[in-house]
Amino acid sequence: MNNSVEPLFNDEFTGQPPAKRLLAHLQSKREKGAHLVGIYCGYAPIELIHALGLVPATLCAFSNATIEAAEAVLPSNLCPLIKSSYGFIIKDTCPFFAISEAVIAETTCDGKKKMFELIAEYRPMHVMDLPQLADEPEAIENWTVMIRKLKVFLEKTFDCAASDEDIEKAIRDTNEKTRQMNLVFDYLALDSPVAGWKEMYDLFFLAQSATSAEMAPVFDDILAKLDKRKKDGYSHSGAGAPRLMVTGCPVGGDAAKVLNIIEETGGAIVAYDACTGMKPYMRLIEEGTGDPMRALAARYLKVPCSCMSPNTMRLSETDRLIKRYRPDAVIDVVLQACHSYNVESYKTGKHVQDTHGLPFLKIVTDYSQSDVGQISTRVEALLESCSRGGKKQCLK
Amino acid sequence: MRVAGLDIGSRTIKLVVTGEDGSMVSRKALTSYNPLDTISELCKETRYDVMAATGYGRHLVKGRLDCSVISEIKAFALGAKSLHPTAGLVLDIGGQDIKAILMDESGSVLRFEMNDKCAAGTGRFLEVMALALGYGLEEFSSSALSAARAEEINSMCTVFAESEVISLIAKGALRNEVALGIHKAIVSRSTTLLKRVSPGSCELFFAGGVALNECVRSLIAESLGVTVYTPPDPQIVGAVGAALFAASRQ
Repeated sequence: MNNSVEPLFNDEFTGQPPAKRLLAHLQSKREKGAHLVGIYCGYAPIELIHALGLVPATLCAFSNATIEAAEAVLPSNLCPLIKSSYGFIIKDTCPFFAISEAVIAETTCDGKKKMFELIAEYRPMHVMDLPQLADEPEAIENWTVMIRKLKVFLEKTFDCAASDEDIEKAIRDTNEKTRQMNLVFDYLALDSPVAGWKEMYDLFFLAQSATSAEMAPVFDDILAKLDKRKKDGYSHSGAGAPRLMVTGCPVGGDAAKVLNIIEETGGAIVAYDACTGMKPYMRLIEEGTGDPMRALAARYLKVPCSCMSPNTMRLSETDRLIKRYRPDAVIDVVLQACHSYNVESYKTGKHVQDTHGLPFLKIVTDYSQSDVGQISTRVEALLESCSRGGKKQCLK
Repeated sequence: MRVAGLDIGSRTIKLVVTGEDGSMVSRKALTSYNPLDTISELCKETRYDVMAATGYGRHLVKGRLDCSVISEIKAFALGAKSLHPTAGLVLDIGGQDIKAILMDESGSVLRFEMNDKCAAGTGRFLEVMALALGYGLEEFSSSALSAARAEEINSMCTVFAESEVISLIAKGALRNEVALGIHKAIVSRSTTLLKRVSPGSCELFFAGGVALNECVRSLIAESLGVTVYTPPDPQIVGAVGAALFAASRQ
């Protein structure tokens, strides 16, 4: 990042992994008596957690360091996110898990589902059965039931309660956070984006757990800084840098090497379509329905995760993002052995190339650094091909 | 103006220098454990005005030599288009990479696929298999071509395929039939990548050290049913492309 501009987060954690800022936030909540609930996935209904007076804490899943320990139990040809998560638990190195008193899990994929069985002995755990044909009429009924059951579990475990009005209030809070977040995203949609992925990542990390009321001063500060950058004519990646949309598996920690390579190669990441990115902020939760639990279920079933079938929303969301952020190319990041994102990549790539005429690159990777050279070559070639002319040949 | 292109590959380093009169000279050396020394040796007594580097070691020389860099993908597309303008697809099988590149009429890259970090089906794979069967590289190809049928090799992993070859030999399989099986395995891997970048068919430009292997060349032509063009020196295509890139920046 250019040293001439003030960082969006200018605090004692600037330049450090964003987990540290989040941990400090959660520890301060805990010191004031709050109880923490560990979550692993974007399907965990954080509004319900907040409504019960509890605090969601995203658990560690992105470090290569814990994989070796995990592979003593788990197969090595498993998704690194699952192996890393498990390694953190058995090595007792996840500070968020250490301060969480229960864990919420979902049946998103087979690997996670079976891994959750192995860590169930460490904390009270509640597994939510996620419907995977989200468009079927029963899906909303079933998922609403799962959210109600989660409420019972949390109320029993923590001896607390939430009324419909409490949940409605939490929904309004999340919607406000989503609106503020989208004001920030407007600065990425500019012809010359004024922030890079690392600063966005800092923001995503904190916003996973904090309420919009807690985030309000942060948003005020960040939006003012972004506006100043825009007025000063600042450009994060330099004028004319190729604009990239990144989509696919959640990425953070050691897997963020892909995002680093894109920026180091000269690309500007303008849209980041993943659960660790913009996905949680893509739409509002319906307010004032009279049945806030059902409203939550409806919203969460619209998360375009590859565990859903046929997940047509992945493509419509891609259309929306391409229209808003105008990328020159799309990169699909797939974690090794994540079968659903890996297979879905074919459809996504075809859609991006055929419907939008944009170059598309799929990168399959894990948390090791051993493929950094190969990834750089691919990304360089993709960026070189962004500004090409000429006619197509050989295509169907 | 004398223009140089340097391709720093995993197994060999290639240097091409073109003169104002259109002449071209090329030199090659094994990459070794110290590519920078190899490059100095290769460039010694070579005069050039501008240079561009490509290959996996391209960033190693940036800042040490006065040169620009381009990715191998672009370099191979540029090189192939200039050496054989009617080609629409490029296949490069090098020491540790396989690249399939679809180009437009001007030689710009439309789509590309590369193998991941595993060396399955690359030049290195062929080297290890030839060694396991006790062949030299040229003899490996001619022996495979002499086989009446092929033993099936199922594993594409260099390590597992070697065990498979050893167990086939232990079962009394004919050496040349195992050799043909290995060649077929590498071809099947390459054609999969090619089909991913181009569902249609167009003339294929075959580059990289493995293009020197006659058996792989004929199996690819047979498998895809397209014309396969192999330049006189398939190893220097990336370096030629880098030189063209260097010249275009002047």
